[in-house]
Amino acid sequence: MKTGPLLLRSLLHYWRTNLAVLLGVVAATAVIGGALVVGDSVRDSLKQMSLDRLGNVSHALSGGRFVREDLADLLAATPAEGVELTGVAPAIAMAGSVEHEQAETSDVSARITRAGRVNVYAVDQRFWDLTTAEATAPEGNQAVVNRQLADHLGLKVDDEISVIIEIPAAIPRDALLGDRDETVTELLLTVTAIAEDEATLGRFGLNPTQQLPQNVYVSLDTLQQQVGLNAVRRTRRNPVAKPARVNALFAGIADEASAKGPNAEFAAEALTGQLHDELTLADLSLKLVGSEVRGYVSLESEQMILERTVADAAAEVAAELNAETSPVLVYLLNEIWNRESPDRYSMYSIVAGVDFEADPPFGPFEFVEGGPPAANSRRQIVINDWLAEDLGVSVGDEIGVKYKVVGDRGELPDEEMSFEVAGIVRLDGPAADPGMTPYVAGITDADTFSDWRQPFPMDLDRVTDRDEDYWDAHKTTPKLFLPLSVAQSLWESRYGELTSLRLAPPGGGDLDTFADEFEQRLLDALPPTSTGLVISPVMYQGVQAAAGTTDFTGLFIGFSFFLILSATILVGLLFRLGIERRVTQIGLLTAVGLTPREVRRLFLLEGAIVVAVGGLVGSLAAIGYAWLMIYGLKTWWIGAIGTRFLYLSVCPLSLAIGFTIAVIVALLAIWWSMRQLRGISTRELLAGVSDFSESTAGRGLHSRVAGRTAMVAGLIAAVLLLGSLTGLVPDDQEAFGGFSWQVVAFFVTGIAALVASLAGLSAVLKSDRAAAVRGKGIAALARLGLRNSARHRQRSVLTASLIASATFVIVAVAAGQRNPAVEAPVRQSGNGGFTLVAETSTPILYDLNTPDGRIQAGMGDGLSEEEQELIASARIVPFRVRPGENASCLNLYQTQLPTILGVPQDVIDLMTDEDRFKFANTPSDAPWTLLDEDRGENVVPVLGDMNTLQYSLHKGIGQTLPVPDTDVELQIAGMFDGSVFQGVLVMSEERFLELFPEEAGFEYFLIEVDPARATELADLLETRLSDYGFDAERVSDRLASFLAVQNTYLSTFQTLGGLGLLLGTLGLATVMLRNVLERRGELALLRAVGYRNTHVGLLVLWENAFLMLWGLAAGTISALLAMLPRLVSIGADVPWTNLELLLLAVFVVGMLAALAAVKEAIRLPILATLRSE
Amino acid sequence: MNESPPALQLSQITKRFAGTAGPLDILNGVDLAMSGGEAVAVTGPSGSGKSTLLYIVGLLDEPTGGTLTITGEQPLEFDTAAQARFRNRNIGFVFQDHHLLPQLTVLENVLIPTLPLGGADATAETRARQLLERVGLGERIDHRPARISGGERQRVAVCRALINQPKLLLADEPTGNLDQATAESVGSLLLEIAAEQQTMLICVTHSLELAGRFPRRYELVGGRLEPR
Repeated sequence: MKTGPLLLRSLLHYWRTNLAVLLGVVAATAVIGGALVVGDSVRDSLKQMSLDRLGNVSHALSGGRFVREDLADLLAATPAEGVELTGVAPAIAMAGSVEHEQAETSDVSARITRAGRVNVYAVDQRFWDLTTAEATAPEGNQAVVNRQLADHLGLKVDDEISVIIEIPAAIPRDALLGDRDETVTELLLTVTAIAEDEATLGRFGLNPTQQLPQNVYVSLDTLQQQVGLNAVRRTRRNPVAKPARVNALFAGIADEASAKGPNAEFAAEALTGQLHDELTLADLSLKLVGSEVRGYVSLESEQMILERTVADAAAEVAAELNAETSPVLVYLLNEIWNRESPDRYSMYSIVAGVDFEADPPFGPFEFVEGGPPAANSRRQIVINDWLAEDLGVSVGDEIGVKYKVVGDRGELPDEEMSFEVAGIVRLDGPAADPGMTPYVAGITDADTFSDWRQPFPMDLDRVTDRDEDYWDAHKTTPKLFLPLSVAQSLWESRYGELTSLRLAPPGGGDLDTFADEFEQRLLDALPPTSTGLVISPVMYQGVQAAAGTTDFTGLFIGFSFFLILSATILVGLLFRLGIERRVTQIGLLTAVGLTPREVRRLFLLEGAIVVAVGGLVGSLAAIGYAWLMIYGLKTWWIGAIGTRFLYLSVCPLSLAIGFTIAVIVALLAIWWSMRQLRGISTRELLAGVSDFSESTAGRGLHSRVAGRTAMVAGLIAAVLLLGSLTGLVPDDQEAFGGFSWQVVAFFVTGIAALVASLAGLSAVLKSDRAAAVRGKGIAALARLGLRNSARHRQRSVLTASLIASATFVIVAVAAGQRNPAVEAPVRQSGNGGFTLVAETSTPILYDLNTPDGRIQAGMGDGLSEEEQELIASARIVPFRVRPGENASCLNLYQTQLPTILGVPQDVIDLMTDEDRFKFANTPSDAPWTLLDEDRGENVVPVLGDMNTLQYSLHKGIGQTLPVPDTDVELQIAGMFDGSVFQGVLVMSEERFLELFPEEAGFEYFLIEVDPARATELADLLETRLSDYGFDAERVSDRLASFLAVQNTYLSTFQTLGGLGLLLGTLGLATVMLRNVLERRGELALLRAVGYRNTHVGLLVLWENAFLMLWGLAAGTISALLAMLPRLVSIGADVPWTNLELLLLAVFVVGMLAALAAVKEAIRLPILATLRSE
Repeated sequence: MNESPPALQLSQITKRFAGTAGPLDILNGVDLAMSGGEAVAVTGPSGSGKSTLLYIVGLLDEPTGGTLTITGEQPLEFDTAAQARFRNRNIGFVFQDHHLLPQLTVLENVLIPTLPLGGADATAETRARQLLERVGLGERIDHRPARISGGERQRVAVCRALINQPKLLLADEPTGNLDQATAESVGSLLLEIAAEQQTMLICVTHSLELAGRFPRRYELVGGRLEPR
């Protein structure tokens, strides 16, 4: 006789028990391994999605700046060193809206369908080749739409659509001379193909997200023509030649591995370097305007204002070249008049901020009277002699000036100032230079005032003949001069503080040579980060973002925690049942000379074999489990991830890890079961004693241990609960693996409460006085049942544990449910009291709360009285938008910098005064004012939603995240709690405009309106502001879509908890059956002494019911305690009735399981049973 | 003439249990000496401590006081592992309940005590077969315990107790679960085999009939062995 055969015989003989243990291990392994495989699958699927959505596009330039289209050919023709390109495609990528008029059918009347925030890609065949599309690129008025857009609008091939996009503006629209009238244009196109979801074109996008975008592809030529970005040859009519422009370049590199790997970053640097070698000033919207006569060149911007970085770099380069410089800021004055004689006035004149000390060719000015203003005087001004004569003023006289300033909401209010004439210069020489004013198409090149492209309503009636004469003779020559610093203090904008920098070569050198050298040096001096012209390794970034995604392994292990716990308890319980049956064998083996350790090792080895086989089978089952979970994520729980493009990806290492963890956990459970036998003497083992507490050594000890455990665990639960309720447990800091301390506190509180209640059960069962058998009737039976459940206390406690852990999950999940759809607007909540949230494709400059603003926004005409009243009843709160990645829970990818909202100061004040939105752990009574705090140089305070910060950005209060390509860091100042601001960060408008001066207007709106009229208002705004792609939805719907993810996770949790309950019920049924079989003699005796079958049935049922009820109560109370911090919060919406029904169902299922045992108990014949005993 | 020292010597063995109503002395100074091949029967009423005494001698329980010498060694002073080894080599047990492993055959059950010695070799197996032949179960060696009678199971248990040729065979109510005829047969078998193997045999029993067949008989009275 050897150990091997003994093990084999034992394994086979006790196959039922072993099979049960094995199945438990299979369940644990499948769940753990499956969770790991789900994590792998999600990661690999996201990686694949990153690759699929880009086709062969590995690198991209998409800075928003319009550059020459030729750059694509130049990049492709002269590849950067070490980078082999498959192609470079120029494109214009913009956000827009698409409309489709559905024809009337027998079922549906004609109607217009709209889609806002559509990605419009203007491309040619080069892009088509890169994205591996089979057909040819759209030409002329053709359009290709993707399936998402087609389904949204109900489009089919040959349908007509209108694509509405913003016309790229040379001068920012919210600048003084910005074009506010023609802001959008409409392309009428015919759909020629629909790109399906599976195709690259069906999902093309640069930002990592698994959600499919709405895309429309149009001809590059067509769109360029439409928005004036096409090539223009120099003609008499068009004195300025222009190259065709694009704002995106998509490139593919030949080496596929390099495209996805870290080498892509080197390639991106090389391509960016190459791009910068090819840049001209025109690509940066800059130009050098030469004045041969005056001997200087002027650096101007098409935006009219030189960006600060450009102006600084140009000044440095000029200094290097020893050039004479003259920085200038000009501004348009609407009216100038003599304070003494207001009828002496001059209209639409240029004032220039200059350096009065400038050397030739920029000075000196020839004063006919007086001199320059006193240093930094904001009250003195210099005028030319033409104006002095026009107004009839001389030195010392007061003049009034009127000009427009740029308001926050696109309005241009008039400002008035008075100046004392300090000097009068001759309109000659440096003072008679129209080149001080940069070229502005439609204005500076107009022949007369009436030809001006009016940037605002001009009062042409007041333009005098002398004004026209001056314009005719001197065009944009300034009539007034101020010191540059004074002019800047009055009229600098967020875009910059100079309108031009005039440069003269040193010593009167050749102007062309100087201009060429200056241009080259300036381009060299402008780093890619300052120009925004950086080529990014988008494919590699996508792969990286996929790798750093939400940890689905952790998530599913978390979800499956109680399932794993149930499986482990079940393994321990079943193994223990097996051991209990064989306890005399253990005694015998000890008696014949095996040491207790050898006996334990023998049984552990037997268990290990079962566990190992179970682990192997479980590893296979893990694949099936993962498949099921992936299937669930694609179907039942699609709300959690929002994509159907998940596939099973099995990594052997994950299975091995799952196997190892499950085997270790199961072996620990088995070891623990065996350990329970320690301290029981051989004699007692031979007598069948299997419970240490029933042994001589354990008597009395166990109840004390159980009592103490109950107290300690209860204390831990109470302390943690208090900590959570009082805010001592931080909910904004990550503990580990993406779990916050609050989540950890929830789990620990829950487990501690469970342990306390179950240890309490153990102590109760131990107490002989718990239920003395006395009295009569059902109560007496109940007491006898209770005493019976104390017979195998550990077995009973384990059974109750199974029920309790499953109940815990179900109750906790129910307590976590929220139903935002029914949440009314409440100021101190996640909706902030707002009913609607809206976004636009094109920024709106104006204040939609005022009639003027609405008129300017183009929605003033034709509004009925009722509509006007409706709009007037609403409050529309605007936010500026810096587009970024979607960092909400709707995006699984790791995000770097989310979309940022800029909050105007009046909105900050409003939010503060009205105490809007609910904040979590934010150290301020007025959290919105935190946005105004000075947190040091390059540190900008921001607010973010708790979910976004914790789960997507992994940041807590006080932590920072960098703004790419800048030295600026965003510091988390406060956290919204379950707000509509999920996925974005919020900063003050002031800081926003410093950081992102190019972002004009408002694209995000919160609207407060009577919920009953919200749909009506949304329809009205969407229709009237359709050119902006205005897209409104209820805040509750937006919150619901965010919470759908959370609620989906909860239902996942619930489903897996349900599986745990199934295991619990199985365990309960097994234990009950075993109890009955063990006690069949006793039960037969009861029947023999006169108990009816009903009595015996009730006895067994009561024993079962007692354990069930204890388990249900322990699970319910523990879950409610753990969830208490959440239950006392706003928005908790516990479906109590459903929960009660569910728990009742659990009870009924458990009792049904016990009925099998009851049936067994009364089935056996009394006499035979007594005899067999 | 020098008498050889006894192979088994119990001196002043005591056993006290802690009870709710105060300590309870079960054994009050038990003395017993036995030589090889001797057979002793111990009788006494239920709760008199017969089995406790047997388990103390079999190193499965510890006395409160006294010494135990078996073949010149004092195994009560050994650690648990050494006691197990000692028990394996020197002591065989026959219990009231046979405690056969249902998953093993009759032969394998007999060979169970060879496990601590590294498993059964051919010699052990031959011996097991011989023992089974000797008790009349030669035809049943491949049967499982469930397929043999109660008397047969107890005979297998006797063989199992003897497989390692112990110096001391302890029997705890070996016939307690058997009918009269079978009990008689098992009792005879125990005495015969003990004599054949020159094994000391201590048998604890209620059965005066069985005890009457033993050359030395004691009754446990007041925690002491009284010769009968």
